[in-house]
Amino acid sequence: MEFFDLFQLPFMQRAFIAGIFLGALLAFLGVFATLRKMAFFGEGIAHASLAGISIAILAGLSPLPIAIAWSMFIGLLIFLLERRTRLSSDTLIGILFTSSMALGVVLMSFTSGYQPELLSFLFGNILGVRPTDLLIIAVATIIILSWLLHSLRELTYLSLNEESARVSGIRVETKTLMLYMSLSVATVLGVKILGIILVSALLIIPPATSRLLTNTFRTYMIGSVIVSELAIIGGLLSSYWLDIPSGAAIVLVGTIGFFLAMGIHYSRT
Amino acid sequence: MSSAIHVEDLSVRFGSKQVLDDISFCVDQGQIAALIGPNGSGKTTLLKTLLGLVPMHTGEVLFFDRPLNAFREKIGYVPQRFEFQDDFPITVTEFMNLAVAQQLDEKAIVGKLDEVGLPASATSSLLGTLSGGQLQRVLIAQALLNEPELLLLDEPSTGIDIVGEAEFYNILKNLNKQRGTTILLVSHDVSMVSKLVDQVICINKCLLCAGPPQTMLTQQKLTELYGKHAAVHNQQKHKH
Repeated sequence: MEFFDLFQLPFMQRAFIAGIFLGALLAFLGVFATLRKMAFFGEGIAHASLAGISIAILAGLSPLPIAIAWSMFIGLLIFLLERRTRLSSDTLIGILFTSSMALGVVLMSFTSGYQPELLSFLFGNILGVRPTDLLIIAVATIIILSWLLHSLRELTYLSLNEESARVSGIRVETKTLMLYMSLSVATVLGVKILGIILVSALLIIPPATSRLLTNTFRTYMIGSVIVSELAIIGGLLSSYWLDIPSGAAIVLVGTIGFFLAMGIHYSRT
Repeated sequence: MSSAIHVEDLSVRFGSKQVLDDISFCVDQGQIAALIGPNGSGKTTLLKTLLGLVPMHTGEVLFFDRPLNAFREKIGYVPQRFEFQDDFPITVTEFMNLAVAQQLDEKAIVGKLDEVGLPASATSSLLGTLSGGQLQRVLIAQALLNEPELLLLDEPSTGIDIVGEAEFYNILKNLNKQRGTTILLVSHDVSMVSKLVDQVICINKCLLCAGPPQTMLTQQKLTELYGKHAAVHNQQKHKH
């Protein structure tokens, strides 16, 4: 098959469009997640979404919307418990993600037979993105990215120093809650392509790679999105040509990019 | 002359613990005032309460006869320690722009940095690479962006060497004289306070004194505030 014939295939078109949307969204959110040392948040939400997926499968509903709603609920719980207990964020995320995953495993034990939906969420299947999934991904990405761009100054300030942001009149609690909700939704959407196990890579690797190459916040954000898109496009193409799982291919291409950036960084310093 | 800060019957509790008790004072417009007191006396808590960072148990705070939310934009704040990850990739220009809704051009930022004695080249420096003194100056420059009528500073000379400290207080003095900015600062340095400020507010959980430093910083008051040894120490410091 010729190179451009690849893009004639409807499932590949959907895969690339979904990947481009999610690449931008996860990389953008990843900037704030890594600056706020919340990389574990994405990992936790992704694993916690298993309970939502299990509920949907048992009830015969579409897994993606239920998983999104469940993850937002877990994100809200983390936000509330962080403010009402003396426990650290990591501890709370650890408790909620393992218990939610345990609930998912128990619920899955009530189902019988082969569960392709479950496998696709565990390991990701970008080539199995349906038109309705693509619609949800596109709408959610546009809404969240618009909010992120609109709140960029406030989010940057409160990520840098919460107290000063509060003094300047920024509604820190509201913005933080919205950030948690956005991260929850984006992570579950990312699960669709990368799977529960690998999705947090797109929150961490692009910002980390960009950080090695940039020296202003603006270029750091733009660089993170570019690295993410390159990893997704490169990963999808290698997945197609080498016949390897798409999620793993995206992560590995991103990792190669990270080590290349590290080489450039050390050659400069 | 109207009051820039009017505090009445302010009390703060952390659970059942009374941290500040029934504090009342005024700072007049155009004054430089200092909050002094021993460690743990509640100076920083009082400043944070004025800024709405710590909730009041009882009392009222007005800025130019207005509540905090109606006056917030006209208050500049410089914290004791600006805690942030020093690998946060943000330049001085980007940091300065976080404090204003409309992005400022480079010229406006250079102008503000110049007011606090920083060169134009500082705009492209990463915030995490600045020295303690440079960071304090950037924090003041940022606090000045909204042309504040009131500047609140919490132990602003923390982390600055003696030479830098003198320059720093000169900057505050100039701001007060040239712009008429009212300044309230928390300090532990009684000798500096006696030279710089128009009014001292002494607290140790409750208000112990408020007035001009010449009449308030007496040996008796200092003993009351810091204990016998601290008062002697401060006196010796004055003689030197």
